[in-house]
Amino acid sequence: MEHFEPKVVGFLCNWCTYAGADLAGTSRIQYPPNIRAIRVMCSGSVDSVYINRALFEGADAVLIGGCHPGDCHYINGNYKERRRIVLLKNILGTLGLEKDRVWLRWISASEGQKFADTVTQIVEDARKLGPNPMAKKWNV
Amino acid sequence: MSDKILQVKDGNIVSTVNTFLKGLLEQGVVQALLVPQEVPSRKTAFPVLVSDPKKLDANIFAPALPVSTASALSKITRIKGSDKPVGIVMRACQLRATIELAKLKQVNLENIMLIGVDCLGTFSTNTYGAFSEKDTPTDFILKGADTAKYLRSSCRVCKDPVPAHCDITIGVFGMDRSKELFIHAATEAGEKAVKDLPDLSDTGSREKGIKQVQEEKNAARAAFLKEKSTIQGIDKLTEFFDACINCHNCMKACPICYCKECLFESAVFDLEANKYVAKTKNKGLYKMPVDSLLFQVTRMNHMILSCVQCGLCEQACPNSIPLMDIFIAAAENAQAEFGYMPGRDPKEQVPLVVFRENEYHDVGEK
Repeated sequence: MEHFEPKVVGFLCNWCTYAGADLAGTSRIQYPPNIRAIRVMCSGSVDSVYINRALFEGADAVLIGGCHPGDCHYINGNYKERRRIVLLKNILGTLGLEKDRVWLRWISASEGQKFADTVTQIVEDARKLGPNPMAKKWNV
Repeated sequence: MSDKILQVKDGNIVSTVNTFLKGLLEQGVVQALLVPQEVPSRKTAFPVLVSDPKKLDANIFAPALPVSTASALSKITRIKGSDKPVGIVMRACQLRATIELAKLKQVNLENIMLIGVDCLGTFSTNTYGAFSEKDTPTDFILKGADTAKYLRSSCRVCKDPVPAHCDITIGVFGMDRSKELFIHAATEAGEKAVKDLPDLSDTGSREKGIKQVQEEKNAARAAFLKEKSTIQGIDKLTEFFDACINCHNCMKACPICYCKECLFESAVFDLEANKYVAKTKNKGLYKMPVDSLLFQVTRMNHMILSCVQCGLCEQACPNSIPLMDIFIAAAENAQAEFGYMPGRDPKEQVPLVVFRENEYHDVGEK
């Protein structure tokens, strides 16, 4: 079997999780290089279309990283994103698609270690799940 | 709040209701009416906005829903609400859509008199047009014939055909259709409009009739959901949407999809040729136009919490994709997740615009 290296797309909040990723880097904390980080201004700005697109293009996992509840730079974007992810997962569940590939996590700018641990866990889980079957579907 | 009777003249309930509606225009209770009326070719019945009582030839029981009545009301009131009273006759699903659009600030209910009508179900435009002039679809459905194989699937398994949140209700369930119709006034404006009608003494048979219809629909609905629950998983789902040509007709027909410029009609996902070619490296090949499944699933994310299950999306599909086969289950599950029911309460807020600090901890963090 071909060696499987999971691809993870991360939508990281500019104020918290992206800075947390930065801290992980400057602190030289090791974590799997499987994540492709996309900086967004707020986790609340990540519409379902971007998550669906990543999944349908064949991403093996998607991480949405935001500020801890109560800490949102824009007051409540993360709370709203949480509801949106609840809905997204509910719909994926109804359609029989793999909702466990979507991760929502709160990681602050000071939590470099947590960022590294989260990515490690996501990659491990993605390895267990195996390649996203959408990667082979050209008729979507 | 009062229950009244509208006596049916000459056994013709369509003309009886037409006369009643004419009266509303003549007495100045409303300045205009938005009401279903058959087009001259009798191929279907469109909502018409009418102010001249002489021109009114309404058929509120015509089993057709070619376009969303709620969208028509939105078109009329979106820029500015009406200064003068306007009446609008709607089925239950369109009333639910109207409530949702009012929450989303796409309908202005100022001076609007909502007149709800018990829904016996609707046929697709093609089915409707195939009926002959002798046995019209309206006669067919009113005489209580077995309509199951004619109804659109969303009507066959309707969530609730009894209108709610209207000023006046016109009811046929539990009534002897050849003799009398049930009229209920729920607001002051409604009371004023029906004050001359005789009172209904006993609502027992009406309640029984409603219960019977709802039980029938619920049974059909449970069977439908069970039958369609197999449309699951990547293979079945992509197969289900294989005929989708990305025309977005479903979105245009949907009363809830109100965005003036849909994300999918914008340039957000337009790429240069080089990038398209580079993109093929990902999967080797792509169906063109791209993103039909992405459109369907994302549209679902955007509107499903307010989905009133009217089935207009399915009717609009040029390739006859039976969208309701998955939309009904998706709407039920998503709305249950948030304990939300579209059209239930005008004061309830759409779940995605509000939040609580203490909720859904299992999703954000385990």
